[in-house]
Amino acid sequence: MQRLKTILKTVLIVLVLGLFHYVLPQHDVGKITSTEVIRMDFSSVNRFFYAQSDSGNQELATRDVRLINTQIKKTWFLGFFQRDSEKVMVYRNEDTGWIWPPYFKFDSSDLQAEASANLSPAGAEKWVVITHYGWRNRFFTIYPNAVGIRPIDGPDVRIIPWVNIIFFTFLIFAYFFLRAMWRQFRERSIDPMLEDAGEAWDKVEDHAGAAQERATGVMGRLRAWLATWRKKP
Amino acid sequence: MGLIRLIIVGFMVLTLIYFASSIYSGSVRREKLEKRWDADHPGEGETEARDTYIKEGMAAYRGGLRRRLLLLIYAVPAILVITALILTN
Repeated sequence: MQRLKTILKTVLIVLVLGLFHYVLPQHDVGKITSTEVIRMDFSSVNRFFYAQSDSGNQELATRDVRLINTQIKKTWFLGFFQRDSEKVMVYRNEDTGWIWPPYFKFDSSDLQAEASANLSPAGAEKWVVITHYGWRNRFFTIYPNAVGIRPIDGPDVRIIPWVNIIFFTFLIFAYFFLRAMWRQFRERSIDPMLEDAGEAWDKVEDHAGAAQERATGVMGRLRAWLATWRKKP
Repeated sequence: MGLIRLIIVGFMVLTLIYFASSIYSGSVRREKLEKRWDADHPGEGETEARDTYIKEGMAAYRGGLRRRLLLLIYAVPAILVITALILTN
């Protein structure tokens, strides 16, 4: 039982951390090498990892998706430490619309124009910070969604993840608030009720005890014998 | 359509949070009043004066600023959404 609980807890924690890693914004430092539009024929596997068509449009099974091809700096530990080496990265550029994830992004076309404006030709490198959420997975053909592009002077920038700081602060606050709420509820509503129930239960047990003392004969002795096999408290 | 859905769902969720918080806040206030009375009048038990004291305290709380602050539960998310809208677009 204890082991099952541990497993369930671990699975839950991994799922929640995975969700956070997918949904919360992350920042990459890199150069935009090109932009393109490809038609996507979503499958049931990767459809989940795409948003919807541009917010004013109708939703069809197949549509064009804007992509931003880049060369970004590799990082260690969720982007906290930048490395010297680089890798290619491809972002999709989709409206998230009103619901999920809550980025309220409607300016995909503008973002694509910004990406084009900050193209980085060989010899005259232009560095940008790309804010995105999501994962790149080659096997399932999914891309992180670019949310913002900010030109910078060079690849050495200090990025402060304000949104994540606020989010996790709020989360800690919400945890303690919920805990306080639950404790108050238990103290003021459940415990008094349990006390009442406990008193009622004690009465029932007294009756049962008296009845047991009266119980003699074969069944009574059998029960007494069975009781000897029970674990002693 | 998305906006309407956001408003409806958001309103429902926030209403849930609002009621839970207001029950919690009221309960905390009531406990505080009880403890204050018991500290001032030790060993008296639950008298009628205690009841009126708590009743009056709760009435004052209901008309007070602290309870109005709970409306921030509706205001803050709305402000956050608007901020996010402005920041991303």
